[in-house]
Amino acid sequence: MRASKFLKAAGVMFFLAVFACIYAGQANAGAEDGKKVFAGKKCGDCHQTEGTATEKTFADKLKKKGPDLWFAGSKFKKEWLAEWMQNPNPIRPLEYNSIEKTNPGNHPKLAKKESEDATEYLMTLKSKDVQEGVIQEGASNIQGKLAFEKKVSCFACHKYPKLGKPIGGLTGPSLADASKRLKGDWVYAYLKNPKVLIPVKRMPVYEGILNDGEMKGIAQYISTFK
Amino acid sequence: MKRIFPFFIAVSIVMTFSGGSAFAASADENYKWYCAQCHGSGGKGDGINSKDLPVTPRNHTNPADMKKLTDGDIENVIKQGGAATSKSTTMPPFGSTITGDEIKEMVKYLHKLCNC
Ligand code: HEC
Ligand code: HEC
Ligand code: HEC
Repeated sequence: MRASKFLKAAGVMFFLAVFACIYAGQANAGAEDGKKVFAGKKCGDCHQTEGTATEKTFADKLKKKGPDLWFAGSKFKKEWLAEWMQNPNPIRPLEYNSIEKTNPGNHPKLAKKESEDATEYLMTLKSKDVQEGVIQEGASNIQGKLAFEKKVSCFACHKYPKLGKPIGGLTGPSLADASKRLKGDWVYAYLKNPKVLIPVKRMPVYEGILNDGEMKGIAQYISTFK
Repeated sequence: MKRIFPFFIAVSIVMTFSGGSAFAASADENYKWYCAQCHGSGGKGDGINSKDLPVTPRNHTNPADMKKLTDGDIENVIKQGGAATSKSTTMPPFGSTITGDEIKEMVKYLHKLCNC
């Protein structure tokens, strides 16, 4: 009696284990296929997928043709990535690296399956400098709102939703729908440790200007933008 | 060698804690990279962000406006942003972005722009 119960339990465990392996294998296959899509479509011509960041000067940055993706899995929401690579609507109002020309909106498009595989692949690219589970997304944050709108006016360079309509400057990526696109933990890490993730940029460094509570508050506040 | 070693340590400590960019750029390069997006590459206050700002960026070529500011004011406003001179905080703080020396060079550069 006891032996048969044991066997039954062992059997269930065995099936679960096999199932888990197949499942993990599928996710892995997706990531492997996604890596092939990335290579086949020459996405790497414009995107760096291996960290750490190497640019040091304005000239280094100007040589880049697209934003870094070596921390994509720490930065983006998975559902957003899969959708955006099929319908790549402009994120940056201006052309990459330009402060004059409008974004031409001509980013290469992927088919559904390619995009899902590429998403599996990009989600494996994580930065050890982005700690997970720090920012509680979606909850309002007064300290963050005050810092963003009043103390340092982040909207001078970024669009954000104000009374249902995006307002703000053009030289930074639009944050108007940031809750769908960006992980709060990445936004916090980027403010806290900007030189590790994106060392050269037209955005000021806020270390020593905003305190830790304000940086966390801003990351939480941005996670409510939709 | 023994005497030079502490010097290297001192230099690397200073470089580590001086904040700011990892490389020194000329005032012209810094202006075109950071300031031009709002003030315009010629300094007229007509950068691409200016249309979407609630306050017009200062026209750095206008001597009447620029003469109201002492060198100390200009340095502080670049370091701490508009709040330093009780102006709009849409003028961002650059004190952690460019070094103190680069800011001093920038003050001279602004004097050239307004010819004042
Ligand atoms: C000719 C250069 C170029 C190529 C080739 C290219 N990209 Fe991009 N990519 C860009 C630019 C520029 C942006 C910024 C677009 C925007 O802000 O609207 C971008 C943005 C992205 C983003 C969002 C990143 C962010 O930080 O906002 C992802 C994800 C991405 N590309 C994936 C891909 C994939 C997958 C491929 C291959 C199918 C690819 N890219 C090919 C230039 C390129
Ligand atoms: C002077 C203009 C400027 C100001 C002011 C500014 N930013 Fe930025 N920001 C930028 C630019 C330019 C980038 C793109 C950096 C890059 O990839 O080169 C950026 C990138 C970002 C990103 C990443 C967006 C993405 O999709 O990649 C976030 C988040 C962000 N800024 C938040 C803020 C916050 C919060 C503040 C205020 C504390 C702020 N910014 C103030 C110009 C600015
Ligand atoms: C995000 C836009 C933005 C950027 C980037 C920017 N400024 Fe400004 N700046 C402004 C605005 C707006 C004002 C006007 C503030 C007011 O009148 O209330 C201003 C005002 C000033 C003033 C006059 C302050 C006073 O008290 O009259 C100086 C000097 C100045 N900026 C220098 C710079 C320098 C140097 C840089 C680059 C390192 C720079 N700014 C970058 C938006 C910007």
